[in-house]
Amino acid sequence: MSRLLATVAAVAVVVSSFAINTNIALGHERRAVGPYTFVVGWINEPAYVNAANGLSLDVTETSSSRPVEGLAKTLQAEVIVGGGAKKLSLDLTAEEETPGHYAGSFIPTKTGDYIFHIFGTTGSTRVDERFESGPNTFDGVASTDSLQFPDRIVANSDLAARLDSLQTLVIAAIVIGAVALLASVRGLVIRRR
Amino acid sequence: MRRLAFMVACVLSGAVLLGGAAEAHANYVRSNPASDARLVKPPTEVRIEFSEPPDPKGSEIQVLDTNGKRHDKGDVGPSGDPNGLRVSLEPIPDGGYTVAWTTTSAVDGHTTKGSFAFVVGSGPLPTPPPVPDAAPPPSPLEIAGRALSYAGIALGLGTAFFVLLVAPAATDPRRESSLLGLAGALIVAGSLTLVVDQGATLPPRLGVMLAVRAFAGLVLAAVSITPRLALMRPVGALAGGGIMTIGPLATFRPRRMIALAAGIAAAMTATLVSHATALGSLKSMALDFVHVLSVSVWTGGVVALLWGVLLVRRDETAEDARALGATVWRFSVTAMIATALLITAGVLQAFDRLVLIDDLYETPYGIALAVKITLVLVAVAIGAVNLLRWGPRLRAGIRARAALVRDTVAETAIFIVIIVAASFLTAFAPPAQPSAAAYDRTQHVAGLRLEMLVASGGAGRNTYALRVHQGLAPVAGAEKVAFRFTMVEHDMGQQELVATERAAGEYVAEGSPTAMYGTWKIQTIVRIVGREDVSTVFTLPVSAPTGGGTTTSQVVTIGPYTAIVFTDPATPQSGAPIGMFAVLVGKDGNPVTGKQVTATFSGPSTQAPIAGIEDAATLGPGRYKFAITALDAGKWNITISVGNEGAGAYSLDVSR
Repeated sequence: MSRLLATVAAVAVVVSSFAINTNIALGHERRAVGPYTFVVGWINEPAYVNAANGLSLDVTETSSSRPVEGLAKTLQAEVIVGGGAKKLSLDLTAEEETPGHYAGSFIPTKTGDYIFHIFGTTGSTRVDERFESGPNTFDGVASTDSLQFPDRIVANSDLAARLDSLQTLVIAAIVIGAVALLASVRGLVIRRR
Repeated sequence: MRRLAFMVACVLSGAVLLGGAAEAHANYVRSNPASDARLVKPPTEVRIEFSEPPDPKGSEIQVLDTNGKRHDKGDVGPSGDPNGLRVSLEPIPDGGYTVAWTTTSAVDGHTTKGSFAFVVGSGPLPTPPPVPDAAPPPSPLEIAGRALSYAGIALGLGTAFFVLLVAPAATDPRRESSLLGLAGALIVAGSLTLVVDQGATLPPRLGVMLAVRAFAGLVLAAVSITPRLALMRPVGALAGGGIMTIGPLATFRPRRMIALAAGIAAAMTATLVSHATALGSLKSMALDFVHVLSVSVWTGGVVALLWGVLLVRRDETAEDARALGATVWRFSVTAMIATALLITAGVLQAFDRLVLIDDLYETPYGIALAVKITLVLVAVAIGAVNLLRWGPRLRAGIRARAALVRDTVAETAIFIVIIVAASFLTAFAPPAQPSAAAYDRTQHVAGLRLEMLVASGGAGRNTYALRVHQGLAPVAGAEKVAFRFTMVEHDMGQQELVATERAAGEYVAEGSPTAMYGTWKIQTIVRIVGREDVSTVFTLPVSAPTGGGTTTSQVVTIGPYTAIVFTDPATPQSGAPIGMFAVLVGKDGNPVTGKQVTATFSGPSTQAPIAGIEDAATLGPGRYKFAITALDAGKWNITISVGNEGAGAYSLDVSR
């Protein structure tokens, strides 16, 4: 009986789990910055490695939802990976068709999390915000492995990692070869004596 | 030979009988109050369960408030559980408390330390003091005691083996006696040093083993005297004849047999207090014993060859050289077999004790092992030169004794360093030492050593810890350490816990992301200033409910609905808050939202009904949470009702 109950529980939990999806990653992160609302994410979603993409930024007045224009000159943006290991300043450009929308293009070359650092001023409000990809904000950069067909193109980072691991083997092989060579030379010398 | 085989069989069977399934260090397993528990009522005692029997004599549990004032009564004693200790508490007010424990393993006397925190009433958990190494580094006295013991064992066993089975006639008896006497003295001195190192905290089992070892050392010392007694036989007879009782032992073969048995017995004690016995498998113990025996035959044999043969015999004539060459050849063959056994047993043991190949340079145990391996290889190379170059020369009647003396002196010097390395090796905890965590895996990623520990293997609230090391040093002050959870079997989305640094290089997060049993992937992200993120994935199996009390998940039918009810934590304790959840599912399998769900309690004491809180944004649709402040220990019958549409019964056991 208990086994039956456990089975029923398992099935019920599994069935219910499809509906209880509590943490769907959002496309953009929405954040209040003073009297403004910043919405940050990728230009193209999902973001794939080695594909043209960039920062997508929308700024509105929180009280009126009115888009805020002219920030390309007063705001600066940079994209950061890891603990500030690499940074890239982005040129923020405004889109005339979509007031309050700004973009900064670049090509992400690594999978994983990215941080958009936006700083400067919006009106009289000083801005210094970091928007980080994650399950509750916007997605990180994904690999294209699952989309490639029929042949898989190895990513540059994967190739670099493989070369790194091969380097150790190559060094070991060179050392062994050198030792073998020395031993052979010594054997020849002894034989001649 | 039969007698020898019988003795070896006895010793081996003794090793099997005496070996227990113990671990080398007593690690924390669980406690009451639990780690990070929030209690409504103050506890009257603290109980801690360890992974192996602790010795109460050498153990201490301190319960400190945030000002550092002790509130325990200092009466640490057995808790009733075979692996448990307890300490009584004074009446304590609301606030945060840290429990700092130190315990000594009853198996090998190794000390482990740790701490955890709990809170009575509301308020934050106190920050535990920086966690010291779970197994503190060994003391110089311990290293010295081990080195002396191992040197004595190798010398005694190797000399006895050499003079009994390799070159009985070629050895100078007086030099043989001096080696056996030195071996006995080293073993006794080493055992006494280890006893002094342990002091009053010497566990009884370890005490017995050291006593057996010291006795074996005394036997070796005694047999080294017997030739002299034999020479004194007439004098002894005149003195009263009492000394004649050991007369038979004065002949070479019996005393060598006794010396060999004493050496093997001493070697057995080394195995029985080793990591091999700690790992608890017969295979490990057998491998360790073979390792100790073979290294002793080899290293002790080299010293016996040097001191008892090479420094005594001459090779001026071709005949002398050939005779010496024959002895050297017999020993070379013995050494070759011993070395093959030594390397085979050592490699197989390394597989059990190392987690990653990187352990060889990233852990104290691994570094000691790497040093030992390197030195063994150098010694093997010297031995190979003796075997292939100087041995054949001697057998051809050409002088080579001086070169052999030079090489064996070099080997002896290397053996001394190997024995010191082995002393460190046996004193350090191996990387594969079982930990108290239900899940413990290590990966080496981008130059970092990441060890993931998960406290419990069940569904529900859990503690996740990541230890980050670069080489031997912990990586402190990481900008961010995050754990992202995704389920393999079903799309449950991704949940993230951000860890806080509790001790240098140890990042801990607590939560319930793995609420459902199945296979979960934990992506760890370590962000260090100035570096790219280091990320890897650990696969965590979360065990299924067994219906045997290890989970509180039950299916409850409530009118037209089915509810899956469970608690967090999965094993609730009295006095601590309990989160009870009901996932309400309709006949179509979809979650049912917007209902008034109420829990009514019947049990050991009174508990007011609690209304379920629905917060789809946080908990998910159809999931209702009942925040229970605390329940008394015992069995509770909880009726869960959905408006006027129906009610169902849920039972809950709350432990003390």
